[in-house]
Amino acid sequence: MASPAVSLDHVTKRFAGHLAVDGLSLEVPSGTIFGLLGPNGAGKSTSIRMLMHIHVPDEGTIRLFGEAGKTGRDQSARIGYLPEERGLYPKMRVIDVLTFLAEMKGVERRRARALALEWLERLGLADWRMRKVNELSKGMQQKVQVISTLLHDPDLLVLDEPFSGLDPVNAQVLKDTVLDLRKRGKTILLSTHIMEQAEQLCDGVCIIARGRKLVDGTLAEVKRTHGGRHVHVTFDGAPGEAERIFADPKLVKKKESTGQYAELELAAGADAQDILKGLVGSGARLAKFELAEPSLNKIFVDLVGPEAATAAARPEVARA
Amino acid sequence: MHKVFAIIRREFVERVRQRWFWIMAVLGPVFFGAVFLLPSLLMGKSSLKHIAIVDASAAGLGRSVAVQLDTTKVRAVVVAPGPRVADSLLQAVGAKQLDGFLLVSDLLPDSGEAEYRASNVSSFTTIGELENALQRVASGVRLQREGVDPAAIARARIHVDLKTTKISGGKTTGESAAQSFSLAYFMGIILYMAILLYGINVMSSVLEEKTTRIVEVLVSSVKPFQLMLGKVIGVGAVSLFQFLIWGLAGRWVFHYRHALGADAPGADAGLFTMPRVTADTAAVFLAYFVGGFMLYSAMFAAVGAMSSNEQEARQAQQPVSMLLVLSFISMFAMLNDPGSTFAVTLSLIPFTAPIAMPVRWAAGNLPVSQVVLSLVILAASIVAVTWVAARIYRVGILMTGKRPNPKELLRWIRTA
Repeated sequence: MASPAVSLDHVTKRFAGHLAVDGLSLEVPSGTIFGLLGPNGAGKSTSIRMLMHIHVPDEGTIRLFGEAGKTGRDQSARIGYLPEERGLYPKMRVIDVLTFLAEMKGVERRRARALALEWLERLGLADWRMRKVNELSKGMQQKVQVISTLLHDPDLLVLDEPFSGLDPVNAQVLKDTVLDLRKRGKTILLSTHIMEQAEQLCDGVCIIARGRKLVDGTLAEVKRTHGGRHVHVTFDGAPGEAERIFADPKLVKKKESTGQYAELELAAGADAQDILKGLVGSGARLAKFELAEPSLNKIFVDLVGPEAATAAARPEVARA
Repeated sequence: MHKVFAIIRREFVERVRQRWFWIMAVLGPVFFGAVFLLPSLLMGKSSLKHIAIVDASAAGLGRSVAVQLDTTKVRAVVVAPGPRVADSLLQAVGAKQLDGFLLVSDLLPDSGEAEYRASNVSSFTTIGELENALQRVASGVRLQREGVDPAAIARARIHVDLKTTKISGGKTTGESAAQSFSLAYFMGIILYMAILLYGINVMSSVLEEKTTRIVEVLVSSVKPFQLMLGKVIGVGAVSLFQFLIWGLAGRWVFHYRHALGADAPGADAGLFTMPRVTADTAAVFLAYFVGGFMLYSAMFAAVGAMSSNEQEARQAQQPVSMLLVLSFISMFAMLNDPGSTFAVTLSLIPFTAPIAMPVRWAAGNLPVSQVVLSLVILAASIVAVTWVAARIYRVGILMTGKRPNPKELLRWIRTA
């Protein structure tokens, strides 16, 4: 099996008395889309910046493409990076910005220019190539920025909150691009705090809060380990005797019911099959009995806790 | 290296493409031309001064003074003293009908006293001419009292015209004092303006990358030091290109000066005359410009990195600009006495040397050992200052929020 595209081993970063990332370990398998999830201020951007060698970890090691001793900067030619806060040189021509940024990634100048033209063509911006960046609309600038991330055909894409600030059209362009890149065997690491997006796109996820990892693995694994404890029941008619079973604290920890529909959270150690048996024995008529997969959002809120999920205040970026 | 070159090219191409570069290319020579020509034009064309001489002497000294003034740019009428005279003259001066009036009495030959009242007593040329005339009249009267024949006195008078020539390396150079003065003055102004202007250019370039956040993408591909280096070299290349344009324009103007009418009589009679720039003077100028620019632009880069917007940067750059302004202001004192301890000290301190040393070089003959010593100190300081600036830059460019205080800055330098 190919070595993971990214692996972090007990990485820690402190900023003047504040622990931004605390012993974070994770692995991003090659050729997958991986989501780094967490509330604001959880340490997502700091982790990504360490990956890119913008910050240097205080402890721990980071390995990219399985190569020891090479930093993100050393391998920048193989990495495309879209930072959370975007910007381009406002007074430069579109084609020149793209050429320059590709040169920074080690692409030869003429080739960079040709690739830039190709991409501008593909995203419908060819007519704007000689315009200055600040003459473009915000949406067009976002496209240019996305192009600058992809131009040098990187093996690993690191996208920090890629969908924030994107209009729906560009968000879809980016989503399609990301899926297309995975098809071509590229690895994509993206951070987000919007769980619906992660759920749609990601093969694997890692949820962090306050700089620490709460859970990681493939989406299915995470759902299995943190889900499967939920049962959705729909009755054909009144629940009747079934209420007695729902009230058993050995089986059900939490119940939300509305008439013919009930959502149950199993008590610790309880087996969903016992509930099913009980329900059938109670004589209630069942229309549907389902071991529900919780949404990623539900897992996230359960794990992170409501107070951390709303902790919006961002500690200042580096205070080294 | 390829990446640093790309950074240099971007800085250079983007700047040369901007309109202000070409405006500067045209306006620069016009401005410097004005600096040179205006004073001499103004002096050459200064208008006649009209004064009144109130003659309270018994011997009619006022008339003699008026006659002496006839060869100058001061015209005088003699009036007799009276109770109302002072008042009406004051009114005339107030109404600008007269520039001033001179009070002459018998005290002039006795104790050398006279009084001039005028709206503008700071005009050195007028006052010098008055003093000359009064002196001649007074000494004439005193010589007559000693029994000297007035005709002999007139014959004894002669106008002396002092020519000045600079000695360089034990040889006379054919260069007048006025020429070396204007060369020194000219180099001082250009060095000051160019270092300040292009240093601030480096600062805004750093700030632009910081505020647009593009710096994050850049430092994920190149080392911050490479980025800073590329910037400094790129902007420096723009300034040298600017000098090249000015130099060529200057040559062209000099070549066609007759056609342009720049050698019209009186045009070079003033303090400022066309200087002769020798190869070693040009080398000294370039060496100190490059050194000064590197030293200051490193500091300006650090200032840009520690600020998060234009206003903050404008404030934070003041101490750096002050160093430059200081060296510029001291230029005038140095021109007066290029060999003074003050001037020597300034030309060895690395922060003032980039302006002080070329100015001293142009103004007077310098020991080469001093220039070498000053260049060595400057080079060492560039290394040290760049080292510190690069550390501030490295931390600063990724920093948002408030500007660091000196204590935090020290921590950046230590930990970066």
